[in-house]
Amino acid sequence: MKILKTVSFRTLGCRLNQFETDALVTSFHNAGYQVVDPNQKADVTVINTCTVTNQSDQKSRHTINNAASKNPDGLVVVTGCMANNYKEKLEGQEQITYVVDNDRKSQIVELVDGHFSGEVQHPDNLSGNKFGFETVQKSLHTRTSVKIQDGCDNFCTFCIIPSVRGRAVSRPVQDILENVRRVVDNGFKEVVITGVNIGRYDYEGVSFEHVIERVLELPGDFRVRISSLEPDGFSDDFYQLFSHPKLAPHLHLCLQSGSEEILLKMRRMYSARQFMDTVERFRNAIPDFNFTTDVIVGFPGESDADFQQTVDFVKKADFSHVHTFRFSRRTGTRADRMNEQVSGKVMAERSEVIRRISEENRLRYMHSMQQKEQRVLIEKVNEQGIARGYGEHYLPVEFAVTDPSTNRFEKVLLQETLPGEEPVMKGAIVGEPALKGF
Amino acid sequence: MKIATEVENFLLEEVRDINKSTYVLKFSRGDLGFKPGQHLNIGLTGSGQHREYSIYSGINNDSLEVLIKEVDDGMVSTQLRKLKKGEELSVKGPYGFFLTDAKPKEGEKLLFIASGTGIAPFHSFVMSNPGASYRLIHGIRNIDEAYDREHYTEGSYFACTSRGNKGDYNGRITDYLLSDVEEKADKVYLCGNSSMIYDAMDILRAQGYRHDQLFTEVYF
Repeated sequence: MKILKTVSFRTLGCRLNQFETDALVTSFHNAGYQVVDPNQKADVTVINTCTVTNQSDQKSRHTINNAASKNPDGLVVVTGCMANNYKEKLEGQEQITYVVDNDRKSQIVELVDGHFSGEVQHPDNLSGNKFGFETVQKSLHTRTSVKIQDGCDNFCTFCIIPSVRGRAVSRPVQDILENVRRVVDNGFKEVVITGVNIGRYDYEGVSFEHVIERVLELPGDFRVRISSLEPDGFSDDFYQLFSHPKLAPHLHLCLQSGSEEILLKMRRMYSARQFMDTVERFRNAIPDFNFTTDVIVGFPGESDADFQQTVDFVKKADFSHVHTFRFSRRTGTRADRMNEQVSGKVMAERSEVIRRISEENRLRYMHSMQQKEQRVLIEKVNEQGIARGYGEHYLPVEFAVTDPSTNRFEKVLLQETLPGEEPVMKGAIVGEPALKGF
Repeated sequence: MKIATEVENFLLEEVRDINKSTYVLKFSRGDLGFKPGQHLNIGLTGSGQHREYSIYSGINNDSLEVLIKEVDDGMVSTQLRKLKKGEELSVKGPYGFFLTDAKPKEGEKLLFIASGTGIAPFHSFVMSNPGASYRLIHGIRNIDEAYDREHYTEGSYFACTSRGNKGDYNGRITDYLLSDVEEKADKVYLCGNSSMIYDAMDILRAQGYRHDQLFTEVYF
């Protein structure tokens, strides 16, 4: 019997990285490798790194060291944004076999295959293709992402991503549509549209809203979710898209700050007023539309008054979740050279304030959703017959089922909010009473 | 015409001094395409240090120009000024979206508001669209910062000087805007330091401008 080579993966950072790892899992699986848990020894370990903050760098370094020490005889392949940002440094580390930049990430399986067959090559000789990832078949998730865009030209003053992901490039429309068709044919019920700055999608005159419209027109019982989006200004067509039943009424719109002055210093492409107008326009059309966001606390020069504006904004916009980041200096960015850096203590205090408001907002939003129906995509069912999944508004829902199968939709009436560290909504399949004891 | 995606080395053609601290860097263009309002990341070849500078020249010029104000102890702006004709500089880009929708339309009134070297994207726009109708308000300290004012259509350029008495208006640009004597425009583009933009935006909103009429680019 042929002994399969084993491969394990470790992923840090954003949803795009997660998607790219999922695609690599598929590539290795299709190439005959056995994918094993990261805690097991493996012939090949792929670490998909992140470099967006100093903390990300630390985590990436720790993950590399940990993986390499567990697999002293295996290949260690480091890829992702840290591989772009610190390429030469990483290449100088003996424990790392290959450092593969983002452009060549999709070809890692070729590199590893070549290594084992004696055709060793430098990763730089691989052909670059930002959209060359395999269609995900064997995913670790119920929903899958489709990458439509890579890179960013916005050059926000705090962000290193344009330097490590390169300039904005959009995937051809037909490739995207074909990719969605394939993942739907493979059985995925939820497609997350992803990229670095997807709102800037522009392929031969086809804009973001119009490529989404084409995706929504594809046949099949699936829904579409838009991942993290920059609120750079939306056309009327964008708002119209959300009348389509396949498009989830949820957006993760990155606010970063509620202070107009700080937004200018961050060189964001919108004002706080514009952002609030966007939120209000959506809520006028769809009152229970779910907004989540990112906020950076402690950007250089952020005064107490600036921070209070962020607090007020987060309350007013009623984000159901706020992902709070403490500002992290990145060499090579404009913000790194700014005066008036905010102390770590102040950042921690501000972060805690936003975290508490976020929790309050979340519970309030969940309460407001009680007695409403959601179409829940079941991700798992436990031994007690309790299913868990997400509705179209991106709230976690638990309910009793008799059919233990997953990856299917159920219409669920939301009945109660169960608070806790990770609040969840309790419901019952429409037309069926909740089971006793649940 | 190509859009540069990676670092390219271009050759310096001229360093044209405008005043003690400000100069125009002129260099080979190759076949680089750009839109007025976009910027380049420029540094000394091999230094690894780049800074953003808006393109100053027009789209029809054979060479590229950027307008640079030297920063005290700056790692890039001071070094670029020392370059000699024929020496290489490292260029990435072009990037950005500022002004890219500011197409001259019949009857449309455009108001440009700049502070200091924030005038560069407007200079590029004007050089690229010779017949365009616009009004340019430039906030500067002294009149010697009225960079190349003769390049603008007669009567279109208006200097607000915060020091001295040789400006078209002697005072801060925000004080001038508060006087509300400017004819209302259809679109207003602002480029300069964040404090000026922040204050000016408040004034313009109070004067009835909607946010979809206001466009900004921050300079540091």
